[in-house]
Amino acid sequence: MANEGAVQATIEASPDEIYDIELEHSLLEANAKLAVENRALLDRHGITAIDFMGAIGSGKTTLITKLVERLKDRLGVAVFNGDATTSNDADAIAKQNVPVVQIATINGCHLDANLVGKGLRKIELENLKLIFIENIGNLICPAEFPLGSKARVVVVSVTEGPWMVRKHPHMFLGAEIVVINKIDLAHLMEVSVEELVKDVHKLKPDIKVIPTSTKTGAGLDDFEKALLAV
Amino acid sequence: MHELSIASGLVEKLLDFADKNPDRKIVEVLLAVGELSHIEDEQLRFCYEAITVETPLEGSKLEIEKIDAMVKCPNCSYRGRPKYWDGALSGIPVATLECPSCGKTTEATDGQECAIKSLRFTETSAIAS
Repeated sequence: MANEGAVQATIEASPDEIYDIELEHSLLEANAKLAVENRALLDRHGITAIDFMGAIGSGKTTLITKLVERLKDRLGVAVFNGDATTSNDADAIAKQNVPVVQIATINGCHLDANLVGKGLRKIELENLKLIFIENIGNLICPAEFPLGSKARVVVVSVTEGPWMVRKHPHMFLGAEIVVINKIDLAHLMEVSVEELVKDVHKLKPDIKVIPTSTKTGAGLDDFEKALLAV
Repeated sequence: MHELSIASGLVEKLLDFADKNPDRKIVEVLLAVGELSHIEDEQLRFCYEAITVETPLEGSKLEIEKIDAMVKCPNCSYRGRPKYWDGALSGIPVATLECPSCGKTTEATDGQECAIKSLRFTETSAIAS
């Protein structure tokens, strides 16, 4: 009865051969636990870590550089720079003469708490007050992986078009501060900053949204204040 | 593609189980994936199949159960399903953290998980004997 090309036989385990076991094993837990450990370590040293997430080219590195410029003489700042392969961003920030840790994820699409924890053990934590952690340029993956930071900032820029918030809603749900960057280019891009702010508030009504431009300096005072109030 | 990290974590756990239970062959894994997680079912399945090749898990099935999002409001003590943003993009409505009752920001209580719920396996020693 064998039929060429057809399935020759299907073997199904009879019900008594199949066993079920119930598990409640979280796959995100290992990272979440390490994030809690990172946070405890930071708290012990009185350090606030802020995690910057956003697409490639949204301006994360430039924003962090501007903040470091403003803050470094007043308080101890360090920067963790996540990048898949290059150290371009880390090199740029290192010119500010603050401790910079480059975290190469080697094609990984997000930083995780383990990598950040290793970084924390590599630098002198005494005298630090603030650590900026720049995540990999990616608006999807990092959201699933808390790092131990006290607040997460999402940076979107008007050059990414009018729909960034609607297209990546999950990213904003987990954030404490949202920056709409490159507002000096809004008119050229014909993107409404007000609409982007409204979109963010539709997802999370009370979240702080700060329009900025690193070119003109607009919004940077507000941003600095918001970060120091975290 | 963080699905690969998730799938690797999953496979690691399952291979550990297979190692400790050499006479049990895993045939199916049920994963609970929250609505608010960013995990794409198809990509996760693809990664799972790709990395289980030539392991004791090869050919096992990955079932994914979606867990609904639930929120609670610290302001008005609403508890329940989130408010959806219908016209966000053409297609699926987007879950938001806006309280359906008072409009303030809610917190998600369910829907962010990604967990192994159960395993199905066969006792291979019974067949061999």
